[in-house]
Amino acid sequence: MFPGSFPVGVSKPCKWVNLKNTSVTTMPVKAIKTISSARNGVGAFILQCKRLDFHYCNFGGSSRGMLSFLTKDLAAFAREHPQIEIRVSPRPAKHPVIKGHYINGHEKAICVRNLEPSEIMKKTNILKEANGEKLKRTKKPVTSLNESVRGIWSPYHGDLRGV
Amino acid sequence: MKRLQLQRWSSTALSPRVRTNNRLHQQLYSTGLRLQSTVSPLQSESTISENVEDASFQNPDAMRHIRPQDTIAISLSPVEAATQSAKLAALHARLYLPSRLPLQTLARTLVDASADSNVDFNNESLATLGHDLLANYTSEHLICTYPRLPLSVTFAAMYAYVGPKTLAAISKEWGIDNATVPGGEVDPGFLQFRRVAPGTAVEDISQLQSARPYADQKKWRMTVSSKIFYDDEFGDAIKGSVALGQGVTDETARATFVRAVLGAIYLHAGRPAAKRFFEQHILSRHLNISELFNFSQPARDLARLCARENFEAPVAKIVSETGRKSRSPVFVVGIFSGQDKLGEGSGSSLMEARERAALSALKGWYLYTPINPRVPSSMEEEGAAPWKPAHIDLGEVIV
Repeated sequence: MFPGSFPVGVSKPCKWVNLKNTSVTTMPVKAIKTISSARNGVGAFILQCKRLDFHYCNFGGSSRGMLSFLTKDLAAFAREHPQIEIRVSPRPAKHPVIKGHYINGHEKAICVRNLEPSEIMKKTNILKEANGEKLKRTKKPVTSLNESVRGIWSPYHGDLRGV
Repeated sequence: MKRLQLQRWSSTALSPRVRTNNRLHQQLYSTGLRLQSTVSPLQSESTISENVEDASFQNPDAMRHIRPQDTIAISLSPVEAATQSAKLAALHARLYLPSRLPLQTLARTLVDASADSNVDFNNESLATLGHDLLANYTSEHLICTYPRLPLSVTFAAMYAYVGPKTLAAISKEWGIDNATVPGGEVDPGFLQFRRVAPGTAVEDISQLQSARPYADQKKWRMTVSSKIFYDDEFGDAIKGSVALGQGVTDETARATFVRAVLGAIYLHAGRPAAKRFFEQHILSRHLNISELFNFSQPARDLARLCARENFEAPVAKIVSETGRKSRSPVFVVGIFSGQDKLGEGSGSSLMEARERAALSALKGWYLYTPINPRVPSSMEEEGAAPWKPAHIDLGEVIV
């Protein structure tokens, strides 16, 4: 049968390219340029929080817990998380604030006025674990770049049902 | 396997100050001028002239680490800054870099050649090494995993894994920020490079440096296989390095940085660490290779392929159909070679369904993967199993 034309379907012949006429050598397959996409955590995991700023006031009463946190707990936290750059700076006559800076360029701030050191540690952990994106509701249990293994259901395959 | 003397081999890539434990070097360079590892000190004119008169510095290449007077003004931050930069230490920890890679070298990978033209203090040499490692590891992975991949698709896959665009994206995902302008006061945790002047055409930045005859003739037909010989690993014409004093684009500087990091890991922590870093950061990325194909006439290619492989000529048959006379018919067509179904596709016309079926048959052939593919560099590991030859294919069909 080859080379020449051969049928599509059983009865109806259809025209295939006549190979004898294609004398010009062409590239049979071209490629599409694209870039690979990141899957954080599949290989390496990059913590998305890259910087935490701690602002406090030396005078204000709302910073009392923050001052205690900075002097007692922050060093241990920084040692546990070397991948986060930590900055401590005074912000006189203002409530104490923790600001997280993220790899996607966003930042999140939490006001920690009148909080105990343990509560401030919880807030710090919230900022550490965030990925910088806006909070959104996830409706699907799985989000994946890969195709479904089972495929999409097709009405034209499998047993046909009589009407 | 005998332990490799990485420090000895790498001495040409590192600056003279970093070369360690070598008496010859200690004597040669013990001028007492610079005890810093990665950055030139400010030198007065008298010390430069003393060095010039020194008989051991007759060779102009050996003089490169002495800065000309005009570049001293922009000398970059001293080495103490690298050890004190919180940003740099955080980057080191964020990438889980081996502790044998010192902060000073990491700081050096962040200095582009356009910011500091001195090859002993910028990341050019590290990036050259990293570039070769990336190209080697990626190409062996692609060729061993998909031995039948057409060459043009291999080039595109290489570009997708380690092309400059991807590397720039990786550096952004690592949280690297650019310094506005390179200088001594800049925190060493920022990427320092001189930007291209606004309004510069991108083609003018670096000159074409291809060995291909008649490389200027853009419209002439180039075979894919000639790209292996003349062009770079992505099948693009080789560009020369950027002229002195001219800036680089953000993408180029970032790509150079990522390559330099891999080169630095290789030099300081050795081959296994570099390979692991490559697998974790480059190979773990998502790339659907079956989406890189762009066939013009899949049915013709398939007929050619079957003829080459001595299969029976392919025949398209309708598997099922619905609504032939309606406004939205669907045909499912299979392509058969004798009793074997090579591929299947569906479409709203017979021709479309047949093209899709031929496409899926071709992809099924080209995307063949051997069971447990191994790459040649896996033999470098200790206790590796004996090497079995990888599958070598005839290649794509020639139409």
